[in-house]
Amino acid sequence: MDETVAEYIRRTLLKIPRDEIKMMLQKWGFLSEAQLQTLNFHQIKDNISQEVVQLCEENSADIKQAAALDIIYNHIYQNKRMWSVYQMKKSGEELEYFDITDFKKRFKGRLRSALKNVTITFKEYEDNAIWIRVAWGTPYKKPNQYKPSYVVYHSQTPYVFISASVLKSNMPLLCQALIVASNYHDIREMELRSHSLNSLKDIVFKRYSQNFQTYTPKPLEGRNVELENADIRMVHENRSEKERIHRLNQEVFGCGPQPKLEFAQYRLETMFKSDPKMDVLDKKEPFRCLVKFSSPHLLESLKSLAPAGMADAPLSPLLTCIPHRARNYFKIREKKGLFPGSFVSP
Amino acid sequence: ENVDPQKTAFLLRKAWTLYSVTPLYGFRRARLRDYARLLSAFIAAEKQKGLAVEVGVELDIKVALSSLADLRGSELDQAALLVQLSSRSRASSRSSEDKLVWSGWFCSVFGDDLSENVPENFTCLPLFLTHGAESYTSLVGSWFQKTFDCCFRRLAISPLNLSWMVAMWAGCKLDRAASAVELVFSMPRLSQPLDISYAIHPEDAKALWDTVQKTPGEITQEEVDVFMDCLYAHFHRHFKIHLSAAKLVKVSTAVASAHCDGIVKILQSQYLPGVLMLLTELAISQIQ
Repeated sequence: MDETVAEYIRRTLLKIPRDEIKMMLQKWGFLSEAQLQTLNFHQIKDNISQEVVQLCEENSADIKQAAALDIIYNHIYQNKRMWSVYQMKKSGEELEYFDITDFKKRFKGRLRSALKNVTITFKEYEDNAIWIRVAWGTPYKKPNQYKPSYVVYHSQTPYVFISASVLKSNMPLLCQALIVASNYHDIREMELRSHSLNSLKDIVFKRYSQNFQTYTPKPLEGRNVELENADIRMVHENRSEKERIHRLNQEVFGCGPQPKLEFAQYRLETMFKSDPKMDVLDKKEPFRCLVKFSSPHLLESLKSLAPAGMADAPLSPLLTCIPHRARNYFKIREKKGLFPGSFVSP
Repeated sequence: ENVDPQKTAFLLRKAWTLYSVTPLYGFRRARLRDYARLLSAFIAAEKQKGLAVEVGVELDIKVALSSLADLRGSELDQAALLVQLSSRSRASSRSSEDKLVWSGWFCSVFGDDLSENVPENFTCLPLFLTHGAESYTSLVGSWFQKTFDCCFRRLAISPLNLSWMVAMWAGCKLDRAASAVELVFSMPRLSQPLDISYAIHPEDAKALWDTVQKTPGEITQEEVDVFMDCLYAHFHRHFKIHLSAAKLVKVSTAVASAHCDGIVKILQSQYLPGVLMLLTELAISQIQ
C-alpha cells in the first residue's frame, strides 16, 4: 500500500470521534466484519488508527478507498464545511432522463481532459443526493488529498452545493464539468452561503414553512394565542400589541422552524437622510456601509427581535426576504423615481 | 507632547488589556534596577512553589524596568513605567536568545485630576496596559500590590465611552487609505444570540462627523449623541431594528479600536497621546 495513502487514511481516522469510528468503518465496508472484530476500540485513537491502517495494508487499500472513507466522514460532518449554492440553467424545456452512469462518465471525462492529475470519487445517497469528491493536482504534481472540493448534486433539480477547497482556481473547471455532465448550458453562483447544508437545501427546495403573500390569516378569536411569559398584570393595550407583533411575525416567518443560516451581509449604497432640523450631512452621494448579521441561528434570532422590543413589526423585508429570495448576501441601492424611500436589491 | 515615534512603535498594533491602578506608595524612580531584581526573584519563587507559568518548559524569566520619559501629557504627569518579561531557555547557552514574553506599562496622560489630590510619597500612574499571558499579568500585579500597596482593577469601557471614542476617532484626519469605522453590537436577551457589525466607509463617517461637530478641537456629549443617533436612524431606516436598544461592545477605526472588556489597540502614533488621555480619564474615574 502506498505510504501516502496509509498516512491519509490514518489522518482521516484521527478526525473521527473515538466512539464513532466503528460505525464509520462499517459504513465504509472496506474491512470485513471479521477484521473489525479484531480491533480494540477502547484504546487511544492513535493506536486505533495504526491498527486500522495495518488492516488496510492487508487488504491493499488504494487512494480510491481512502477517498471513499473521506466522503463518508464529510457527509456525516457536513456542517463543518462552508457551502455555496450554484444554480444551473438549461437552454430548452426538455425533460431528459437522468442517467447516473452517463453523468459520471461525462464529468470525469471533462475534468480529466483538462487536468490529468485528479482524484474523482462519487457516492450516491438515499435522498437522491450525488456526492462528488475531487482532489486537485497539477500537470506535474499528484492530487492534494488534503484540500479536496466537495459537490452535492440533486439530479432532479438545477442546484449544486459546493464546498470548495482553498484552491479557488479550480472552480471554473469544476463548474464546466458539472454543466457538461448534467446537460445544462450555464451555471452561476447564488449569493447564498452557510455551514448548514440541509438549511441551504431547505431554502432552495422550498422545504421550510413559508409565508405565502396571498395568505390572509384568519382572525384570532377562538384561537388561544400562546404568549411566552404571559404576564397577568399586562395591560390590555400591551397584550394586543404583543398579539399584533406575534401575528405579524407568523405571517412573515411562518409557523415552522426556520432554515439555519449563520450570517447575512448587506452592502448599503443608499443615501443618508436625516431630519432637516438636525442640520447634518446632506450629501448627494451614497452613505457607504457594510452590515453583517451573525448568529448561530440567524433567522430564529431575527424572528425574536420584534417580540423582544428590539425591532418594529413587521421586520424589514431586507431581512425577511432571505429564505424566499434564497440569498444572504445583498447589495442595496436607492430606488430612483416614484418611491424614494424604497430600496432595490439587484 | 511630542512623542518620538521610534520609542513608542512597540505600543502600536498590539491588543492591550486595560487596568486602573491606585497610586503607588514609596515608589522610587532611581531604584528601577533593584525592583527588576526583586520582581525577578518573586517570579522565580512563585514558580518554585509550583505555580509554574509554563508547565514542563524550563524558562528563566528576566525582568526589565524602564522609564519612558516621552509618554506623558504634561510635566505634571509621571513618566510612564515599562515592565518587560523575557525568557531565555535554559537549554540554550547563548545570551542573545531572549524572547519577549510579556509587557506591561503604567502611564498617566493629563492625569492631574488624580495627582493633584494625592499626598507626598505617592506616585500616580493610573493606567496599566498589558500584553501577554494572563498568568504573568497576575504575577506582576501581585508583586506591585505587595510592594507598593496599590490596587489593580480591570477597566471596562461602557457603551457611552465607546461611542465617544468612535465619534472622536471617526473625525480624525488620515492621509492614507483608512479602514472602515466599525461598530459591533450584541443583542441581549434573545433566544439565539445575534451580533451586528455596522461598518461605515471612513470618508462618509468623517463627513457626517464634520457636519455634526460645531467647534473644532472640542467635542460635546450632545454632538456624540447626534452622531450616534444619525447612525442608528440610517440603520433603522433599512432594517427596522433599534440599535439603540443593543449593547455596543466594540468600536474600530483606522486610529484605534476598543472593546468593552477593556481591550484597546492603537494603530496610529500621531493619535497616541489623545487615546491615552481618554483612557487615563477612564482609569481615574474608576479609581475615584
